[in-house]
Amino acid sequence: MYSIEARSLSKHFDGVKAVDDMSFTVDSGEIFGFLGPNGAGKSTMMMILTTLLKPTSGHALVSGYDVMLHPKKVRQKIGYVQQDTVVDEYLTGRENLILHARLSHIPKNQINSRIDDILGLIELEEKQNEPVVTYSGGMRKRLDIAGGLLHRPEVLFLDEPTVGLDIQTRKKIWEYIKKIHDEFGMSLFLSTHYMEEADKLCDRVAIINNGTIQAMDSPQKMKSEMGSDVITMSIDESPGEHLTNVEKIPQVTNINHTANKLVIFASNGADAMPKILEIFSHAGIKINSITMTQPTLDDVFISYTGREISDDRNDSGKPNRPKAKRSIL
Amino acid sequence: MSGPIHDTYTIFWREIKRYKKSRSGVLIRLIQPAIWIIVIGNTFAGTQPLIQSVGFDGQYIEFMAPGVIILTAIFTSIFGGVNTLWDRRYGFMNKALTSPISRASIALGKMSAISLIAALQASLILGIALAIGVSLPNPLMVLPIMGIVILFSLGFSGISVMVAATAKSQETFWGVINFLGMPLFMLSPALFPLELLPDWLATAAKFNPVTYTVLLVREMMTGTPEGGVSVLLSVVVVSVFVLVMVALASYVFTREVNKPF
Repeated sequence: MYSIEARSLSKHFDGVKAVDDMSFTVDSGEIFGFLGPNGAGKSTMMMILTTLLKPTSGHALVSGYDVMLHPKKVRQKIGYVQQDTVVDEYLTGRENLILHARLSHIPKNQINSRIDDILGLIELEEKQNEPVVTYSGGMRKRLDIAGGLLHRPEVLFLDEPTVGLDIQTRKKIWEYIKKIHDEFGMSLFLSTHYMEEADKLCDRVAIINNGTIQAMDSPQKMKSEMGSDVITMSIDESPGEHLTNVEKIPQVTNINHTANKLVIFASNGADAMPKILEIFSHAGIKINSITMTQPTLDDVFISYTGREISDDRNDSGKPNRPKAKRSIL
Repeated sequence: MSGPIHDTYTIFWREIKRYKKSRSGVLIRLIQPAIWIIVIGNTFAGTQPLIQSVGFDGQYIEFMAPGVIILTAIFTSIFGGVNTLWDRRYGFMNKALTSPISRASIALGKMSAISLIAALQASLILGIALAIGVSLPNPLMVLPIMGIVILFSLGFSGISVMVAATAKSQETFWGVINFLGMPLFMLSPALFPLELLPDWLATAAKFNPVTYTVLLVREMMTGTPEGGVSVLLSVVVVSVFVLVMVALASYVFTREVNKPF
């Protein structure tokens, strides 16, 4: 049985296709990521799977239950940590968790022990009896995530878990997410627009753009399908005809030459590098610097969507629905 | 342990916790009714002969104190639902909606918390009234008085939660609430006896649940029947009003929160 099974899901708002015919499955215990820019349809998908929105068409099963036919069953199986950190600021950390425990029907005699366990895991024992208003952003997020796990959900939904946090805090949150996944082994469905986050955490990633899935695979596989290491060299003079010799190296797949920068894609950079250097030293061309990097998920994303992920410009002219509506308040 | 009562209590617990931690609000919300009872009570003290002409033999302040208690209950409870809008804006609502508790429990938990808070505020006004010379025929009457105030506030919190669940913005909420609150209060014998109102206003007032609540509380505070309405009728009217509001609010809330915000 899959933890999540989405079949041809679509959601239209006033004719705008926020989610357009998406199908995917998430295995039990898997960490699955929706990676895409703002407005791509990630949050809408999350709201369909957590029973907050009814899809326009298609079906979705979460933990084996249809989100439209048995929403109450689904709600017993899931935890949902929203993009905006949801904590009651004037309650203490512990009181926030008690509220969670009661909302999710944890038996009364287990509430305290579960809270103690989770506070240990997220390292908030010392601050537990202080009002959340005194907590930092990262601590609040940890508390929020802890609330979503308290009832040991079979599927945990994390909507942009580290948005708005500084990079150290973000890395810390990743550690906690990994830790809780190791500890509880639940399936994790997370949405993000950070490449690094998807890369670090996810077993599999779906690249989302304009409401559709552009590609879906493990981050490693996606990157290796880019087929190469990337060797970047800085040179002053044009290599001219010597470049044809570089092209003849079996591992070299592609060359990109601009003014004084040479980018060489190679299936095995370590093997190609000495051969390239040999050609250049033979020709007497001076190399100022040389670096070899792995292709990033960034490169993958650009190759599938034709744009950078941090680019908030909306190709389809689609309004960024939830944000636009919220700002009225 | 689960079930609707447990779930309702969960939301009630959260609302009361939040109220307790925002204690500065308690005093601020008391200022207005305190001004009413002290300033208006003394300003209109000269209307005593008018009040007496319809058979009420006491000070004007004794006449209007129950009215101000109800005023406090009305406004505390009808404003109380506004945090429903915050909850939807800041995500607590989605958190509750994706948990296994029922939507109606969320509405009922909010309403019961609001009505308790309204009754607490009203009891402080009762305390002020007693301190400035209003007396009760029997100190134990405090209990049925508070019982009626809690019940009545539950009905008004229903109105508030209903409006908040339907309104998409603060502006709409406050617009509708102000449109409802003041007329319902003014169109009752809270400050002035029904007998002295023009016929058409007195008739309109008979359709207002606030009227029966005021008459009931005043009779309990002064021991004098008034307005030609029996205690039983008043209790029945108030109870029916509350039942209808609670049922309607649960229904409307459930329907509205299922729509995207």
